[in-house]
Amino acid sequence: MRLLLVEDNLELADWLAKILRRDNFVVDVLHDGEAADQALSLEAYDLVILDLTLPGMNGIQLLRRVRARGDAVPVIILTANASLDGRVAGLDEGADDYLAKPFDVEELEARIRVQLRRSARRPDPVLTCGTLAFDTNTRQFQLQDAPLALTPREHAVLEALLVKTGQTVSKTQLSQTIFGLDDLADPSAIEIYVHRLRRKLEGSDVHIVTLRGLGYLLRHAT
Amino acid sequence: MRLESLRLQLLCWLLLPLAALMALNVWTSFRQAHATADLVTDRTLDAAARAIAEDVRVDRGVIDAVVPPVALEMFDTGHRDRVYYRVDTASGRLLIGYPDLPVPGIGLTEGTLAQFTATYRDEPLRLAALRYPIVGATDNERVVVVVGVTLAGHEAMVREQWVGNAGRQVLLLVAAAILVLIGLQRGLAPLMRLRDAVLEKSRDDLTPLPDTAIQSELRPLVVALNGYMARVTGQMAAQRRFVANAAHQLRTPLALLATQATFARRAADGAERDQALAGVEASTRSLARLAAQLLTLSRAEPGGRRPRDEAIDLVASARQVLEGLADFAVERGIDLGLDVLGPATTPGDGPMVREAIVNLVDNALRYTPAGGSVTVTVGSQGDLAVLVVEDSGPGIPPEERERVFERFYRMAGAPGDGSGIGLSIVREVVDGAGGELLLSQSNMGGLKAEMHLPLDSATADAKRPGSPPAVA
Repeated sequence: MRLLLVEDNLELADWLAKILRRDNFVVDVLHDGEAADQALSLEAYDLVILDLTLPGMNGIQLLRRVRARGDAVPVIILTANASLDGRVAGLDEGADDYLAKPFDVEELEARIRVQLRRSARRPDPVLTCGTLAFDTNTRQFQLQDAPLALTPREHAVLEALLVKTGQTVSKTQLSQTIFGLDDLADPSAIEIYVHRLRRKLEGSDVHIVTLRGLGYLLRHAT
Repeated sequence: MRLESLRLQLLCWLLLPLAALMALNVWTSFRQAHATADLVTDRTLDAAARAIAEDVRVDRGVIDAVVPPVALEMFDTGHRDRVYYRVDTASGRLLIGYPDLPVPGIGLTEGTLAQFTATYRDEPLRLAALRYPIVGATDNERVVVVVGVTLAGHEAMVREQWVGNAGRQVLLLVAAAILVLIGLQRGLAPLMRLRDAVLEKSRDDLTPLPDTAIQSELRPLVVALNGYMARVTGQMAAQRRFVANAAHQLRTPLALLATQATFARRAADGAERDQALAGVEASTRSLARLAAQLLTLSRAEPGGRRPRDEAIDLVASARQVLEGLADFAVERGIDLGLDVLGPATTPGDGPMVREAIVNLVDNALRYTPAGGSVTVTVGSQGDLAVLVVEDSGPGIPPEERERVFERFYRMAGAPGDGSGIGLSIVREVVDGAGGELLLSQSNMGGLKAEMHLPLDSATADAKRPGSPPAVA
């Protein structure tokens, strides 16, 4: 899952990104509205955490522009303005949720999960495919009821495939999901991660199928 | 005597002169009554004297005086006045009457009456003397008739006349007082209503009082009151905005602190935890600095603090500030220097001016990259004390130079730990001291902030004899 964090306080953005990355999210951090607008029009994000007071284009303007493009990416507003008016204005402009600073990191994480679940139209917090299960609350994988240890990149690839179980996920989509803006995006590296994942899934009832020229597919082999 | 009550004051001003006028009136009527009574008494005395004098006859060569009863009956006014008389010949022989009754000291002319007063048998008397030719006398013999009467009837007449008059006057005064009181009550009613309107207002109701339908004398008061309330409202609104803004500004650093704490709690190992805790400490320090700055700003605002008037040595202040910030400069790897071009003393509030210098230098140190330099120059220029802070940092583009004075304004891409109120503080202090703050491009590459403050008169006098400007 790839998140975009737009926050002009460099340190807060930095520390929040650290925590979210530890939660196995791919996190891009931007500090002003213009850059965020550009990134959102070029990249695919699963969720945006948006501060409203930004230099240049402010958060509301950015939100308006994103929604005007027809982009339905879930947006959680994060702002120091806790007034009811501010909250209503943010939600009216198309934000999905609103969190006032200072906030509990746990609460932010819970709200991120809610938004991701809602955008996947899946009320069950646990995604499954055969004996492979992913708890979106703890953000941990289990295979045959045992925890599955994965590197962050492997985690990102497997999560992207599991969310779209039974559907083809292209290499481009995968690379957009797992590489942040600061990463050197190398599509061939995806093959390596898929290879490693196949080894870790070996002996289970879950397989990653390669469709040449199309992408990958997670299947429950019966 | 000071009278606190407006009503009492007005009453005094109206009634005291009125009472004085009436007293004068009563006194005049008393005099008038006396004059009238005197006249009546004198006429009676005159008539009595003539009646007696005309009854003096010469009978066979003997002068014989008889007092006709009618002459005495004239005095019977029911006040039991006693009447005394004597009839003498001009040569001094007593014909009839009271030999010890006083006679007028001066000579009498023929036929005319002389009136005088005297005390007789311990009673005041009014007397009349008449020198009159004797009817039937052959020689030029004359009689002198003196008639005197006690004053009971006279006084009764006076009393009758002026007591009634005085009573009417007092009644008039009382009536006037009552009318004045009613008039005052009605006349002052708008003032009382205004007082009630002000009293009725609740503690935080500062809406203006209606200034229509009000007497022209009161309108300036109401307008002044409304103006005052408008100023108070403005001040309160500014305070509220400030507090709201301040609370708002604390939210992001607090979020950072909370995030760092969460990270520390979840840290995988000791090194990571230490790193997060160091972040917590740094955040706490910058929060403390923000709180201190907010406090300074609220003090620097107009009305925020009683202005202190002292002569501030800018050189000493700058030195003190730079010594305090030396550690921070070393830590940041910045060359911090002081350049004194001459003495500069400015009148004002020492701690606030030092606070302003701290914020200017601190800003310069914060925004100048490591390896750069910050220079503070102090001197005087004309009748200005000048302190300049220059740095080799990125500077402020001209279009941003006015906006950076706005509270909590932070330029795009500014590093994380600035609060955005440092320059607001400096501007408030400099404005409060009657000075000027100028931002421009420094020759060192970064920002040049010039603080122009009025030069203290002592310093100005000392440097006047032909010394050239110390700061170019």
